[in-house]
Amino acid sequence: MAKFAKVSFKKDELNKELSKFFKGMLSNGAVDAVLTPMAQAKKGVRLSLVTSAAHTAQVDPFAPVAAVSGAKIASSLTARPSGRKVAMVLRPCEVRAVVELSKLKQVNLEDTLLIGMDCLGRYENTDFAKFQEQGGTSESFLENAQAGKTATNGFDITGACKICEFPAADKVDMRLCALGAESGAVYIEALTEKGEQALEKSGVKGGGAPAGRDEAVKKLAAARTEARDKKFTDIRAEITNFEALADKLAPCVNCYNCRVACPVCYCKECVFVTDTFRHTGDQFMMWADQSGILKMPNDTMFFHLTRMTHMSLYCVGCGQCTSACPNGVDPMPLFRACADKTQARFNYQPGRSVDEELPLAGFKADELVEVTGQVK
Amino acid sequence: MAEKKPAGTVLVAGAGISGIKAAIELAESGYKVILTNDSPQIGGILAKLDYQFPTDHCGMCRMLPLVGREYASQYCMRKSLFHENIEIMPFTEITAIQGDAGNYKVDLLKKARCIDPAVCNEMGKCIDVCPVEVEDEFNLGLTKRKAVYQAVPHNTPKMLLIDKQACTRCGECLKVCPTNAINLDAEDEPETREVHAIILASGVKLYNIQEFEDAKSYAVSPDVVTSLAFERMLSGTGTYQGDVIRRPSDGRPAKNIAWIQCMGSRNRRQKREYCSSICCMFALKEAVLAKEKGGPEVDTTIFYMDMRTFGKGFQQYRDKAVNEHGVNLIRCRVQGVMLKPDGNLQMRYIDPDTNEFFLKDYDLVVMSTGQIPFETHKKWADLLNAPLDERGVLATEKSSKVKVADKPGLFLCGSLMGLTDISEAMVSGIAAAGEASKFLATLGVDKMQEEEIPEPPAQSRELPLVSVALCQCGEKPGAEGLDYELLSAELKRHPGVDAVHTITSICKAEGETELAGLLGKTKCNRLLIGACQPFMYRRKLKNEARKAGFNSSMVEIFDLFGIARRGMVESANGDWTLRAARDVKSDIEKLKYKPELKVSTLPINQSALVIGGGIGGMHAALSLADRGVPVHLVEKEAHLGGYLGNQLEHTVDGLAPMAMATAMKLRVFENKNITVHLNSEVEKSVGTLGCFETKLHSQETAENTYLRHGAVILATGGHEGATSEYGYGTSDAVLTQGELKKGLASGDLDLSEVENVVMIQCVGSRQPGGRPYCSRICCLGAIDNALKIKEKNHEARVFILYRDIMTYGFYEQYYSQARSAGIIFMNYSLDDKPEVEFVDGQPVVILTDPVLKEEMELNADLLVLSTGVDPEESNKRLAAAFGVSVAEDGFFAEADSKWRPIEFQKVGLYLAGTAHSPMPLRSVILQAEAAAQKAYTYLSGREVHTAAVTSTVKDALCIRCQRCVNICPYGARSYNEADKRIDIDAAECQACGMCAAECQNNAAEVRGWSDKQLMAVIDAKIMDSTLSSLGDGKSGLRQNV
Repeated sequence: MAKFAKVSFKKDELNKELSKFFKGMLSNGAVDAVLTPMAQAKKGVRLSLVTSAAHTAQVDPFAPVAAVSGAKIASSLTARPSGRKVAMVLRPCEVRAVVELSKLKQVNLEDTLLIGMDCLGRYENTDFAKFQEQGGTSESFLENAQAGKTATNGFDITGACKICEFPAADKVDMRLCALGAESGAVYIEALTEKGEQALEKSGVKGGGAPAGRDEAVKKLAAARTEARDKKFTDIRAEITNFEALADKLAPCVNCYNCRVACPVCYCKECVFVTDTFRHTGDQFMMWADQSGILKMPNDTMFFHLTRMTHMSLYCVGCGQCTSACPNGVDPMPLFRACADKTQARFNYQPGRSVDEELPLAGFKADELVEVTGQVK
Repeated sequence: MAEKKPAGTVLVAGAGISGIKAAIELAESGYKVILTNDSPQIGGILAKLDYQFPTDHCGMCRMLPLVGREYASQYCMRKSLFHENIEIMPFTEITAIQGDAGNYKVDLLKKARCIDPAVCNEMGKCIDVCPVEVEDEFNLGLTKRKAVYQAVPHNTPKMLLIDKQACTRCGECLKVCPTNAINLDAEDEPETREVHAIILASGVKLYNIQEFEDAKSYAVSPDVVTSLAFERMLSGTGTYQGDVIRRPSDGRPAKNIAWIQCMGSRNRRQKREYCSSICCMFALKEAVLAKEKGGPEVDTTIFYMDMRTFGKGFQQYRDKAVNEHGVNLIRCRVQGVMLKPDGNLQMRYIDPDTNEFFLKDYDLVVMSTGQIPFETHKKWADLLNAPLDERGVLATEKSSKVKVADKPGLFLCGSLMGLTDISEAMVSGIAAAGEASKFLATLGVDKMQEEEIPEPPAQSRELPLVSVALCQCGEKPGAEGLDYELLSAELKRHPGVDAVHTITSICKAEGETELAGLLGKTKCNRLLIGACQPFMYRRKLKNEARKAGFNSSMVEIFDLFGIARRGMVESANGDWTLRAARDVKSDIEKLKYKPELKVSTLPINQSALVIGGGIGGMHAALSLADRGVPVHLVEKEAHLGGYLGNQLEHTVDGLAPMAMATAMKLRVFENKNITVHLNSEVEKSVGTLGCFETKLHSQETAENTYLRHGAVILATGGHEGATSEYGYGTSDAVLTQGELKKGLASGDLDLSEVENVVMIQCVGSRQPGGRPYCSRICCLGAIDNALKIKEKNHEARVFILYRDIMTYGFYEQYYSQARSAGIIFMNYSLDDKPEVEFVDGQPVVILTDPVLKEEMELNADLLVLSTGVDPEESNKRLAAAFGVSVAEDGFFAEADSKWRPIEFQKVGLYLAGTAHSPMPLRSVILQAEAAAQKAYTYLSGREVHTAAVTSTVKDALCIRCQRCVNICPYGARSYNEADKRIDIDAAECQACGMCAAECQNNAAEVRGWSDKQLMAVIDAKIMDSTLSSLGDGKSGLRQNV
């Protein structure tokens, strides 16, 4: 079924070889544009929208960083579509968020070619800068990470990546495969008809399939699942009541960065910045009167619990919330541990399929009777 | 000024569900209704039922109007009914009726309640001290009540009364009554009313075994109960407060329960040759509920003669009861119940599968008792001087189930037609109202005039300043024990409250003046009134406020005395006034953040589209056209009449559909209000109640017509099912009932040589892989044909092979007639269906003899198959065009199978006749009349008011994820592709709030129920720190988190 093309590269030439693939797709009209991580002029790697084949030299799809979630960018590009075909190179967590957003009508997959990359994790923004300063490259990262060495001088991949059980992207048209590939090679895999056509047009071909890939994906997923479950056990033991939760959220200053960074928090304007939460002086006084004291800004836990209610069914566990917090709150494990239960209740896995119905988003006369207390 | 004629007034006698429905329909059409009831409460039998199949929930409130909700109190129907145009007179007997069509004088006798409901504060202190105990008829004698009592435990207002028969006049109640509401010497009061029309909806008496000889054989222990009593045993307000089912005799949980069907019914010997129609479904439902209450180990067995699952969804419910719940069904008439010394109930029965006798013990036996109609009908016939027909019931016009024969202006509905289930009670109530409304139209009487008070502008954007007015209910404050001074002081401290006033009696004229004076000089922009029973006074008080310059959405009324009473229950130690204050504060908070609510009006295109030109469609069209409503009648064939009107000469109950259709066609073509579109089909329709636009395609001219209309009636009918079973199509000797009927009518079929005719019922019906439903009319059709064969050739032997004979109601008489005529009925079961072989081209039917349990053969000269009724294929296309749904079986899916049987979830569309489910002609006409009436309610006005409280979209906040569209159960929301926004149909929206709950940033919101309001309400409720249950128990959610 799936078709592979091998991309062999000499030392320090991974991106150079990969750029040929993108260049081929653009110049042969497989797509009109490519959204992919690219090395910036001085330093850092950012998603960039490339429409000209002449500008593909800087591609760096395997760079272990995601400054913002690619799913949010995908939404910006396609929610009100341009009508032009875009290939998007996204991390597995971003792909899963894209699937959710398409169900929520915030991503239009019609003219989109989804390319998922094998993900061994990402560094926080600031850590990635250090990584580059120390001479780290995508190539060196891939090699070390495959050997289980992600930690270097004082930093490591994010907590979310360490417990992510989805190192490879499903539900994509193509995949950039590094897992299980022999040294000096990565593979491009076409999974759909759309993908096959694009691969053909790119001009990259031959070389067979990576022999050890399935095994490598399975092994990594198993190790991370184990880490995930341990994390769940720990966080559930830690947060047993409202006080513990309040302590955990104590550094929060209601800046709402976590919500801005979250790929599945898709409201145009969050309810917490609307009139609903613009209170009068009277109200603050009333609340203060209740026990003589009121922490300001207030409604901190209210905000986090509300956000959890709103998005836990769609939470893909990308960890952008934790990355975005300027005050060191680590919401990721809280949200993932909660999402684990809500998603299990509906046997729902965000990102699994575009055709799977969103839970609680359609009217059913008999649903959750154990909660509603409806007499049967 | 021209003299004002009195508004059209209708007396509805009987406030069971059909009477209530008729009353609501007429009231909604703008007529005045007087609704009387013999007993002290309303609601009839249904007030006693907590659960109704198929949902096994209550759903009585679904009979309330959906559009224009501002004008009809939306309230739990089992508690009570409130409507501006309905005067409810419970505990009132009709003693005489004089006069004639359009001019009836009715003598009423209002029975003495001995407690003045206007003064009574409903605290029930009198009940506590009353020393008299009698059997409580509400729980059918399973419990006791006092001589002072509340007739229905869940009624609001409670309407306490004194049972004069039981009362010993000891006077204890007088001593404790704080409001002097009791008068033990109260007398019944006669009253005379003039009305234009009368609808009889009294229901009929139910069979009471104690009055009959059956009592000796069956009623041997308190553990033998009636099905209605069993309903009270299941009820949350009943004998066991919803706990497991126990035996009345010793309180032991009942593990083995048996039902005996047809108690008092289908009994030729006792001269009750009818079926009570509802008992089979009643018993099935009770057996399922018994299983659900008591767990799967409860054994439930129903002993029956025929399981009559003839109505829509009935057979499917039976299949579920048997297959999923494990209810046992045994076809055997049990001859009696034996009381064993250990208290168990023993029954002896024959297992129909093996013909062996069994003895089995049961803990509880339920008798499915039916109706005894004749007494009630006799009473009405005497009062009205109307004739009874040969069956002993009030004669109705031949084709109508609701028009009393030769008595214009007199109608009946509900169980007076023969025991009806909820769905038919609803339909008949609507149809009776429709006929009454048509009759009133011929008299030229007026409708109720509404006083239009202009709505002052709302100051909703100014900072809220609330004025609170508390009714003290009488001269002296504090009758309820409420400390008005403390309450006022506490409320005055609340932010946003400017003043707190007390008013002597807000429901009286002085109170109104007081309120007006107060409103005249206030600087507040919002007003909160505390009184009793806000649902009764809301409209009136809001009008008062409007006159004083308050926009009515800036006025709220709350139940002060309800709060007071709740406070008393919660705490005995005096601080409950403060707790009451907390409740009032939450009402203040809700009012403070309330936006202006506007009622919008939708223009109504006063014409209708009727789809289907069969008898049902023509009847609906004529019913509307006769009232001046222009109608487009669409038929896909080249001629009107439909299946029945073109194929069926006569029916078993003496109707002549073809002749009827011919006469109707003439009336249709002569009626200038009806435009007929033949050879035409609907392709597309857009719009909503009041303004639809429909594209019609003509097969003949291939042209499209665009019609504008305000309502739609779907009356698409059905046709005889097709089959290839039993050799149909391979031999001329095998035909369908329809073909036989035609052959008999035309005389083409020669019966002189025929010796044996075998009829097989349920061909392709009531079985997996076939029609899952019962087609309802085939048993009647087969009996009719069989009788006709016997008429033509008395020597011919006719065998009817059946599973259950569905001659419900008075149709039972034809079953009896057929058996008397020598027609042989042989039962077969689904797992042992007859087989047919052909010997020399002649069919031979092989079956198991139901008595001897041996295989037998019948040589058939004619083999006739009852192939059931299939829905029209076009239903699916029509459903898609109109945005309604078709059920799995291919018939249209109504809004609610019980309470809204002829409506769709979408308002403005109605269904009638076989489009709903297969049914006999008289039922088709009944539904058509009802559908026309539903449409007329809206079409008679130029505009319809939408509810003020509907959902909205804040467009600037909306991200267009469309989850609100998917979650809306009423289809009121849609995504407008062209304008890229969410549209709301304000007439469809029922303000259920699903969209608001679904929308994460409140872009979808129900006006008047915003998150801001609700959070403020919650804040006020948890203000008292000891009540906060979040966190450490000392702080509210907002403090330190």
